[in-house]
Amino acid sequence: MKNVLLRPRISFFDMAGCEGCQLAILDCEDIFLELVDLVEIVEFREAMSETAPRFDIAFVEGSIHREIDADRLRDIRARSRWLVALGGCACHGNVQARANGWSPAENLQRVHGLDTVHRVQTDNRYWPLWAHTRVRALHEVVKVDYLLRGCPVDRDEFLHLVKRLLAGSRPGFAAQPVCVECRRHGHECVFLHGETCLGQVTWGGCGAVCIAGGYRCDGCRGLLPNANLASHRQLLRERGLDPKTIDQRYRLFLSGEITAQDAPDEQ
Amino acid sequence: MAVYLVERSVFLEWIGMLARHERVYFPQPVSESSFRFNRVGSRSLLALEDFDDSSRVKPFRASACVPPPVRSLAPDNELLFTFRRDKAGDCLLAPVLDNSRRILAGVRPCDLKAIALMDRFQRAGIPDPYYLARRDHTLIIGHDCLQPCDEYCFCEAAGSLAWREGADIFLTPQPQARLLVEPLTDQGAVLLADAGFPICEDVKGCRARAAARRATPFGRRFAAPLAQVMQVVAGSWDSAVWEQHADRCFSCGTCNLVCPTCSCFDVRDDFNVEDPGSGRRTRRRDACMLEDFAEVAGGHNFRKSTAARQRHRVMRKFVYLPDRFGGTAFCVGCGRCRRQCTVAIDIFDIATDLLAGAGEGT
Amino acid sequence: MKPINPHVLTPTMVRIKEAADMTGHERFFRLRLPRPLGHRPGQFVMVSVPGIGEAPISICCGPGDHDRLELLVRSAGSLTMVLQRLETGDQMGIRGPFGTGFDLADFEGRDVLFVAGGLGLAPLRSLIEPLILDRQRFGRITIISGCRTPAEELFGREMRTWARAPGIRVIRLVNDTAHLPWDGEVGLVTAPIAGLDMDPAATLAVLCGPPVMYKFVIMELAARGLAHDRIFIDLERRMRCGIGKCGHCQINHLTCCQDGPVFRLSSVESLPEALA
Repeated sequence: MKNVLLRPRISFFDMAGCEGCQLAILDCEDIFLELVDLVEIVEFREAMSETAPRFDIAFVEGSIHREIDADRLRDIRARSRWLVALGGCACHGNVQARANGWSPAENLQRVHGLDTVHRVQTDNRYWPLWAHTRVRALHEVVKVDYLLRGCPVDRDEFLHLVKRLLAGSRPGFAAQPVCVECRRHGHECVFLHGETCLGQVTWGGCGAVCIAGGYRCDGCRGLLPNANLASHRQLLRERGLDPKTIDQRYRLFLSGEITAQDAPDEQ
Repeated sequence: MAVYLVERSVFLEWIGMLARHERVYFPQPVSESSFRFNRVGSRSLLALEDFDDSSRVKPFRASACVPPPVRSLAPDNELLFTFRRDKAGDCLLAPVLDNSRRILAGVRPCDLKAIALMDRFQRAGIPDPYYLARRDHTLIIGHDCLQPCDEYCFCEAAGSLAWREGADIFLTPQPQARLLVEPLTDQGAVLLADAGFPICEDVKGCRARAAARRATPFGRRFAAPLAQVMQVVAGSWDSAVWEQHADRCFSCGTCNLVCPTCSCFDVRDDFNVEDPGSGRRTRRRDACMLEDFAEVAGGHNFRKSTAARQRHRVMRKFVYLPDRFGGTAFCVGCGRCRRQCTVAIDIFDIATDLLAGAGEGT
Repeated sequence: MKPINPHVLTPTMVRIKEAADMTGHERFFRLRLPRPLGHRPGQFVMVSVPGIGEAPISICCGPGDHDRLELLVRSAGSLTMVLQRLETGDQMGIRGPFGTGFDLADFEGRDVLFVAGGLGLAPLRSLIEPLILDRQRFGRITIISGCRTPAEELFGREMRTWARAPGIRVIRLVNDTAHLPWDGEVGLVTAPIAGLDMDPAATLAVLCGPPVMYKFVIMELAARGLAHDRIFIDLERRMRCGIGKCGHCQINHLTCCQDGPVFRLSSVESLPEALA
């Protein structure tokens, strides 16, 4: 590593999300002060109130629902050298993308009831903001340089990305399934205990924290390129899941990525 | 060298005693169905199977022991070197080798063979100093198998069941809850000299009793001798069998990562946030079943299809490595890859299908 | 069996004596070594920036008992892009040399045809240099070097100098002049082969370039009657260790880092993974 590091100006923004990823980053408290020494944080709503016109790295959390959010994202893109999608919502739409499976009117009715649908149709001023558009990941609106996957993001991956960028390098995230994490950590496969898991077809990099915690993987980091979904669906069927449950499992985090072709059982 | 006949409980107590001042690793249950070579502590529950009661589940199954014991000689995230920058701006690097002594106890013949093969591999050409630093300071206590671990075992067919090379001490179960304890090296003899175990008067008889007790056939068998299996695999580059076993594969790398003779790795560098002039390089296990394993800088992937990677994995075990390292199959028949594979891809089945395709066996 | 060297995976830090951009993507480094590497032409070193990573880089200077090491680094990955920023006086980590390389004795008294595509010229330069230094020991030399545009040409000035030595022909090509001044030819590296004045029984060919180049150059050479044991190819793989252990550079039963990266075509043409 070279003697002189860059001192990038870093900013954080949130779109539609829970801001849990920004909190996960604040969780780097043991080294946060040293990190702040190496970078210049110019915009971070979770921790400060200043704003800046330009930055080197913009971390954007959350998915895009409304056109004004898309415009805001385009503005951030124009002001930033690198744009990083921070977390599952920004990377692939995450849980919110589930809404794309139905029409806005259907969603409105499901969540707020038929009365609300009537009110929307009769009252010009009443329009719940989330209900009327398609949920998009950042890359569907602007060019995204790097993806920090996960719900929430992994602290080590975040640090890896920041360190690489400040050293004038670029981060590398291997397209490897969660199984790799489990084997490296010596976890026995949850399938051997009668559980089912989405780890074979979704991105690792998380250290298999959920499996370490006694749970399974629900695939929050998104679908791997060339994932063998046909085989995976078959496996889940053989392990006793009915088509509806299988779709629910896929749809929880992966709605933004599963296509109709991948989900032949859905009506 | 003196050979001993000891009560099993006494031997296990001795292991516990040994662990007070040595680093001893022994397979211990981590769940209902899995084991790990964990370091023995004061509260470790150590168990070995009984000679007489074969109906009892084997307390330790090699195929359920993940990662395999050879990994304690090449751990994941192994530190290669640390670096720091001095006041003049010079970068100082120092390799970090682990020369500490350790004892691996309860190693089954399949894993003994795997370690012996890895010894050959790591010593050949330019030796790997990290593996050998650990290996040269490791004592191994092997344990015979009288029953196969499970339905996936094919260690006899793979030529591993009778393997003893690499063990310093070898244990064989005996009737009446006893163990035949044989030193195979000087180091093993020295370790046993102070144990105070009773001398065995009839070593041949004990060995014969164990041999008579051993299951036959032992685990799964190929329809042809191993040498022929290896020859058939070598000649099956264009076989359709590779595709048949690739359809359901996730390319998740599990088969590589649990294999006791897979040793491929990737290196990772990191520097410290609090002192960016300092940091470390580590290496971790990599897997040739992962899609990007054979990709080069320009983006070309020399093994793009799952079938090509599957073929490489199997060829490496039965052809490539044996060709270079003494002709022995590098698949030891432990059954780990099959047991850990969620879609039941089985190197035994692949070899069997290749054999059938070549007109050998059924 | 070789003795165990505890430092084999730990680089030695070496000062950069000279660093200069050769093109927009390639940077040339001359290092001063604490002691001579004693490398053979065609060998490679593992180059490190501690904290960032390591990558295999071909040695591009000729062999000999000198403390000089020359490398040409293309910005292609997370490490090589950091290397582009290193200046004279900075340090980089070096391990090696690794691989078999070329044996100069094979080339004695022979005519030698070099075919280089793009960055492939860099490793070939490590063999071209000693052949040019000792003209009477070797036969005629023909160098065909191609790249995409004039702006991407490597060692252009040097090739013009080589062309002035006796018994040497240099054919420089670009695919496209891209409206830039160009004093060489336009076309692919395969094009000149058919018209070369070449005695297939006295000639050795040495090839280095992208995988796609080999197939077509080999076809042209075969058409000229060159036997496959007279063709050397330099193969690219992403080695992680250089000592035959990491598994990444395996080509069927061979490891590129130990058995190569230079191979006689006849020894790898039966290996399905070698060229594609």
